[in-house]
Amino acid sequence: MNKLDLNNLKNEGVENVPMQERRDFLKMGLAITGIFAGGTILSAVSTFNTANAADFAKKYPYSPHYSMVMHQDRCIDCERCMAACVATNHVPNVPGAYRTTILEKDTPDAVGGKREFIPVLCNQCNLPQCTRVCPTKATYKDQTTGIVLMNIKKCIGCLTCQEGCPYNARYFNEEKKAVDKCNFCWDTRLSKGEKDTACAHACPAGVRIFGDLSKQDDPVFKTVHQIEKAVWVLRPEAGTRPNVFYTKG
Amino acid sequence: MANHSAPTLNGLVSGVVDRLKSAGIGYYLLLLITLSLVLAAAGLGLLAMIRGHEHYYNVYREIPWGVLISTYVFFVVTSTGLCLVSSIGHVFGVQDFMPIAKRSVFLSIATILSGFFVIAFEIKIPWRMAIYNVISPNLTSNIWWMGTLYGVYLAFMFAEYIFLLMNKHTPAVVCGFSGSVAGIAAHSNLGAVFGLLMGRAYWQGPYMPIYFIASAMMTGCAVIIMFHILGYKLNGEKMGPDMERALEVTTKVGILLICVILFFTTWKLVAGSAGQPNGAYPVVMSEVAGHHAFNFWFFEVLIGMVGPLVLFILSRGRNLNIMLLASISMIIGIFVMRFNLVFLGQSIPVYYDLGVNEYNHLLSYSPSIYEMIIAAGGFGMTAFFFLLGEKVFDGHKVEHH
Amino acid sequence: MTIRLITTVTALLALVTGLASAASYPEAPIVFDKPVTGVIFSHKVHMDKGLSCEMCHNRLFEMQAKKAQGNADFVMESLYQGKYCGACHNGSLAFAANTRCATCHIGVKGAKRLSDGGTQEETHEH
Repeated sequence: MNKLDLNNLKNEGVENVPMQERRDFLKMGLAITGIFAGGTILSAVSTFNTANAADFAKKYPYSPHYSMVMHQDRCIDCERCMAACVATNHVPNVPGAYRTTILEKDTPDAVGGKREFIPVLCNQCNLPQCTRVCPTKATYKDQTTGIVLMNIKKCIGCLTCQEGCPYNARYFNEEKKAVDKCNFCWDTRLSKGEKDTACAHACPAGVRIFGDLSKQDDPVFKTVHQIEKAVWVLRPEAGTRPNVFYTKG
Repeated sequence: MANHSAPTLNGLVSGVVDRLKSAGIGYYLLLLITLSLVLAAAGLGLLAMIRGHEHYYNVYREIPWGVLISTYVFFVVTSTGLCLVSSIGHVFGVQDFMPIAKRSVFLSIATILSGFFVIAFEIKIPWRMAIYNVISPNLTSNIWWMGTLYGVYLAFMFAEYIFLLMNKHTPAVVCGFSGSVAGIAAHSNLGAVFGLLMGRAYWQGPYMPIYFIASAMMTGCAVIIMFHILGYKLNGEKMGPDMERALEVTTKVGILLICVILFFTTWKLVAGSAGQPNGAYPVVMSEVAGHHAFNFWFFEVLIGMVGPLVLFILSRGRNLNIMLLASISMIIGIFVMRFNLVFLGQSIPVYYDLGVNEYNHLLSYSPSIYEMIIAAGGFGMTAFFFLLGEKVFDGHKVEHH
Repeated sequence: MTIRLITTVTALLALVTGLASAASYPEAPIVFDKPVTGVIFSHKVHMDKGLSCEMCHNRLFEMQAKKAQGNADFVMESLYQGKYCGACHNGSLAFAANTRCATCHIGVKGAKRLSDGGTQEETHEH
């Protein structure tokens, strides 16, 4: 075998490399850098709170795979979503009874705002804690839509699901004598042919975008599958793979 | 001493009647007080069930589990402990522990029934549990396993007690062993009810199931010591050397287990503060130096463990008065310990780290008077069964062969 | 465009001449509740920036508090066209009306806190 003797090779000098070869080489470098840049950006995004968004975006086991994206900075706490939810889903008017709410965060030192409003609701997790801990399968993941539903006649009221939920999405409804929660308005709207939830419908500021992650042309899918703006989920460390995403802008 | 020749039913009944008749006015007064506690608790519990729990209990959306759950945990911890510690003797054959078997098994039944009594009023719709636990079981649910296994456990303990009464040793051992296995499985599942909640950092991890078992053994020792000494005081009898020896070794096991739990508690605190883990650190700080510090240092550490540890050592397992004091102190401390465990895990809101105004502080909860009465009803029930058991079963005397 | 020009000129004049210094104004913040609940306007914050009464009154807003919210066009779209707050909040004089939503929108929570007697919102405004 003839080995290439690098030490004794004469330096040809770059001036001898034809122009076309130099261009190709540079192009290749750019392409490689581009891939790496892309890869780096992707992984930076996925480690920055959006691990779930990036990882689980790949597989959406439900059809339609209902999901919601919150444009958090648009929320003005007018609470029309909450009122619409109460009216649509017959949520009792007692303390602690709500399916969705808006949290308020003061940011007095922040550039560009004094406060943030963060709407929250059931995250319809892909790996819900609530359904795992329920002793009687009174709460379960719908096989078709992925919505976490309640079968109220089976609910014994042990409230373990409330303990398990990392999103405080559940409460005991004394009128129904069962735990109640957001079901993306499944019984009140979606199953009747409506295309969105009462809260998303009522929002005047375009905060809550309701959609279907199993369709690539869906606005929610598009927001979750881009790398220009950060998309994140709440409590990613709880590992429940939520289907409610947050973004700004 | 009980008669070895096969007793007739009439003989048994007249024996019970005689013993009950011979009891003093104090005994009947205590029986009446404990029974009224149970009835008051049952009445209030039913009222809450009918008119809506939210009118009577101080639990709320973010703190769904209050003193009734912690009291339930206390009772099942106690029952499991009674079962496990007493099984050292009559199941695993360590002679020294033999004399405590009967009373302990009886009390393990009494305490678990008290636990079920209390939780029946915390669970909002208990009758649905009876139906859907059977026809719609969720095998991934620790609370399902806990409930089911405690049902099995109760059945074994009942059977074991009956075999003990009948002096049928082999089936009693089989039932005792099965009961111990079911009890450990059930009780560690209760730990897992808390420990496997991914969103609750203070509870999360394998610590809980392990801690629960060790804690049960510790509680079992305290309860065995207390009820045996009280039982002999009630019956006005002097302990024989066998029983004295049994309590001495139980005290030794108790000392060991207090040390084990102190060790566990220390590492729980260190693990919750080193590196300031999200979701656990603020809770641990509230426990060590915050608004929950008195409950922790005074009740859990001093009254529940360190005080009794010192007293047990001083008693050398022989001074019954010191041992009684130590065991009562320990039981009070352990009751608060269970409350701390249940409450503290919930005291940090799930959105704490989001930094929102609603949840940027630890939550508080104090039981309502109704919750306290129902919890007291559980104690009333155990005390009532204990008092009744001492007379009906003649001081749980152990037959010698 | 003319309106914007006039506003700009007026604002600059006001800043230069310091007309604002002696003006009196309502201490408590105005909280609009239509078309959505909880939109705050603080005279103090704006006066402290050196603006004068005449810059807004009565051209953009009448003296009577919250009168504007009775108008059908008191909506964000109008602000984007330079009406009401949008006269200044256009991205050049002050932050644009379609940014920093929650700066003025204190929401149901903020409005409730103010009506409950708290003056916290005032202090939050700094």
